[in-house]
Amino acid sequence: MKTIKISESFEMDKNLYQPVNGEIVEIIDESPTIKSFVIVPQEPVKFDTGQFVELTLPGLGEAPFTPSSSPAESKKMEITIMKAGHITGLLHQCSKGQKVGIRGPLGNGYPIDDFVGKDVYIIGGGVGLAPIRSLFLTLIDRIKDFKSVTCRYGAKTPQDYIYKKALFGDWQKITGVNIKLTVDEADGKWKDNVGVVTTILRSDDVDISNAVAVVCGPPVMMKYATLKLLEFEFPEDKIYLSMEKNMSCGIGKCGHCMLGKYYVCKDGPVFTYDQIKQYPKIWD
Amino acid sequence: METVFISKLKPFLDTVSELMEVYVPSKSEEHYTFTRYDKNSDKPIQLNSIRACTPVKEFLFPMRELAATYPESSPPQDIKPFAVLGLKECDLRSIEILDKVFEEDDFRDPLYINRREKMFIIASDCGEPGETCFCQVFGGKGFAESGFDLNISQIKDGFIIEAGSQKGHEFIKEHNKIFAEAPEALVAERNQNRIDIENKLKQANFQIDRNIGEIVENSEESDVFDVEASNCIECQACTRVCPTCHCFYLYDAKQKDYFVKMKMWDSCLRLGYASVAGGANPHKMLGDRLKHRFLHKFVYFLDRYGIDMCVGCGRCIDADAGGIDLREVLKKLNAEMK
Repeated sequence: MKTIKISESFEMDKNLYQPVNGEIVEIIDESPTIKSFVIVPQEPVKFDTGQFVELTLPGLGEAPFTPSSSPAESKKMEITIMKAGHITGLLHQCSKGQKVGIRGPLGNGYPIDDFVGKDVYIIGGGVGLAPIRSLFLTLIDRIKDFKSVTCRYGAKTPQDYIYKKALFGDWQKITGVNIKLTVDEADGKWKDNVGVVTTILRSDDVDISNAVAVVCGPPVMMKYATLKLLEFEFPEDKIYLSMEKNMSCGIGKCGHCMLGKYYVCKDGPVFTYDQIKQYPKIWD
Repeated sequence: METVFISKLKPFLDTVSELMEVYVPSKSEEHYTFTRYDKNSDKPIQLNSIRACTPVKEFLFPMRELAATYPESSPPQDIKPFAVLGLKECDLRSIEILDKVFEEDDFRDPLYINRREKMFIIASDCGEPGETCFCQVFGGKGFAESGFDLNISQIKDGFIIEAGSQKGHEFIKEHNKIFAEAPEALVAERNQNRIDIENKLKQANFQIDRNIGEIVENSEESDVFDVEASNCIECQACTRVCPTCHCFYLYDAKQKDYFVKMKMWDSCLRLGYASVAGGANPHKMLGDRLKHRFLHKFVYFLDRYGIDMCVGCGRCIDADAGGIDLREVLKKLNAEMK
């Protein structure tokens, strides 16, 4: 797997603890618990899809997020955030004009060039769609390079769907893109599948002999999606997992995000299943 | 290697202290700690027999330090050159380990490097091994052959000083007045002392006949860590005094009219250490956290950097309020494998 060395993005001995100043210029309500924040950094933050940034609320703290916008746009960045803990709770209380800090980009990204000529099988759940959106935008920019982009996505309820317009409309119309959606619990209007995301995975969704899978979502969903892929005899080194761990420094030093010998923040957050399967508690 | 002789320590220390601040080991009850050298004090300077009870990382990676200010960044902290006297072989190895982490090619930690470059290391040979010393397990010999600027070996009638770096050589050259040539007989005395300490270490009560990494890696099914956890009071002292433990966290705070990002020691034994916003925590149980600490030290770090993340200094054993003895844990795991 290709990894993007931090040194390519940063000069030596630059203080990577130093955030770039930025400002929230727009806030979009995506669902009752999810908002997207459009952030303009004072200097462009150029990232590869799948890399993440540490977003600082001045004086309060920082947390890691993978941008949901296209990496082609470096002057502004969109980050989709679910209210889940302390910093995300504070972010949800912010209004337009809020000053923020950005450290990054950090970690590796998706090895897009290795996906060329293949079926790209994307499986997502919940707010895991945020990094997938960035990946999706990157893929459809050069859609002809891939055999297909096949996406299976699940949310808890129809209200929990984010990027509704794109998911239910725009993206579905793109040639080469195939999207199927599901919810755990439907309401009266829901016409698609009801059930967790693994219930819409089929062994003939893609040509497994020439495909890569990208799995991103809550740990439990990632676990069962991966097991399903293994049941389909998907090669272990073709299953790309975007791992969620406690990432504090973001540069492979502070230890919190260790997954076996790996630092998820630096060696990841994208790993193939093959790389990490030997370690205990990868889904916890 | 350049080798010289001094009969008394004071003129040497006075010379070093004219150039930079010097920290020397001083005895506090049964332990040694580092205090600032004061040339006017008549407190006798004694080279410690064993390593200090505090870790050398304090000089390079302080418990809390300023990592960044914003919105305006500030220039790196002005660290003045400083010397630390009486560091032992195990201390030097702990620096080697920290270097691997903080000087790793693709991200060199500027805060660490700032201090590391200003540090003048004056190592010294061990006298007697301490009760909790077990450096021999990691190839420790009780004296250092590299990793220092100067090394001092105490002999009956003085001290043999050896240079181990360019900085050390230059120091001896520039201050040749205070040094005498080292007579062969005295160097031989030093060498004999070294053989003695190495032999004493070889006879130390803790020996292990199997690869430690293998023992720890095979502990997946063992309940040893859960049993040990029942004694652990989560004081985190073992990780604080450990010279190789380097976990930290960043936190933000508000000053009068600016914000700061601080870097502060953390401990993998803390309950919330690995938990994420959604509530997931791979190390919810204390036994799992103890196990992770061992896996990090003896398996993961070795795998990543090619060196064990333990130097056998025994500080964690001295400090442990719950009575957990790393040597005993390894012995129990080893016995389980048989």
